[in-house]
Amino acid sequence: MVARKLPRMLALAGRMLGDPVEAEDVAQEAMLRAWKQAPRWTPGQARFDTWLHRVGLNLCYDRLRRRREVPTDNPPDRPDDGPAPDRGLIAADTSSRVDKALAALPERQREAIVLCHYQELTNIEAAALMAVSIEALESLLSRGRRALRLSLADLRSGADGES
Amino acid sequence: MTPERFNALVDAYGADARRWPVAERASAQDYLATVPEAAGAALAEADEIDALLHESKAPTVSMALRDRVIAAAAESGLKAGRAGRRWLDKVFLMAGAGWAAAACAGVVAGLGLTTHLTADAQADAVLYQASLDAADDMEWVG
Repeated sequence: MVARKLPRMLALAGRMLGDPVEAEDVAQEAMLRAWKQAPRWTPGQARFDTWLHRVGLNLCYDRLRRRREVPTDNPPDRPDDGPAPDRGLIAADTSSRVDKALAALPERQREAIVLCHYQELTNIEAAALMAVSIEALESLLSRGRRALRLSLADLRSGADGES
Repeated sequence: MTPERFNALVDAYGADARRWPVAERASAQDYLATVPEAAGAALAEADEIDALLHESKAPTVSMALRDRVIAAAAESGLKAGRAGRRWLDKVFLMAGAGWAAAACAGVVAGLGLTTHLTADAQADAVLYQASLDAADDMEWVG
């Protein structure tokens, strides 16, 4: 289970939080909770993977809430919207640019994209985890993707050739 | 499938049909085959965003993290990683060979009926099942 689920939890937390250290903590805690709560599971409603995502997401929500409540001296990286003389250097690291653009999205839009695109959950699973309707999920996805397209406009031609 | 709905689908889920909702996938693909030119613009735009999203690399699990997870589980008095074999032993001892055979076949539904299992053994059983390929197709409650 560690081999199969730990990478998924780390990817979820990494993209939700944008902080590799916090992501590792969340992934570790999610796995531990899975172990501890396993005796209470009974067959019926949700796949194990979906349940584990709920555990991981709740841990992410806690961290994000704490960030909002307690101002920190070291906020996570955010994209620099101002003039960027070193834009060429930044663009060289496309993965980092995309991660930062994701991190800059409103929380719910980022969550929708992470669950549907990166974690490859179905729209029904993602909507259930987010406690929204399918229509609301689609709206979050659309708005998030549109915002990414705008913020990464300078990368689009480069990305086309690589995928 | 209307043009508006097709555009909305692609706008939300991207250009890859495998990501479209199962219930609408076939009709969306039919629409695409029928009017490829009309559908093409939305598809191309969505494909650009998909390509950007794919540029983000998933973090890799370090050996240190993996070891920490297993060690933390052990500290909590739980079994991790290599628990599969021990789980089988426990199940045979505590629940009888018949139940174990069913569990090995992927049937964990009987878990709740087996009142003699300790909490640890149940955790091991469920998580061992979760490690099997077929486990994701099973139904669990959260």
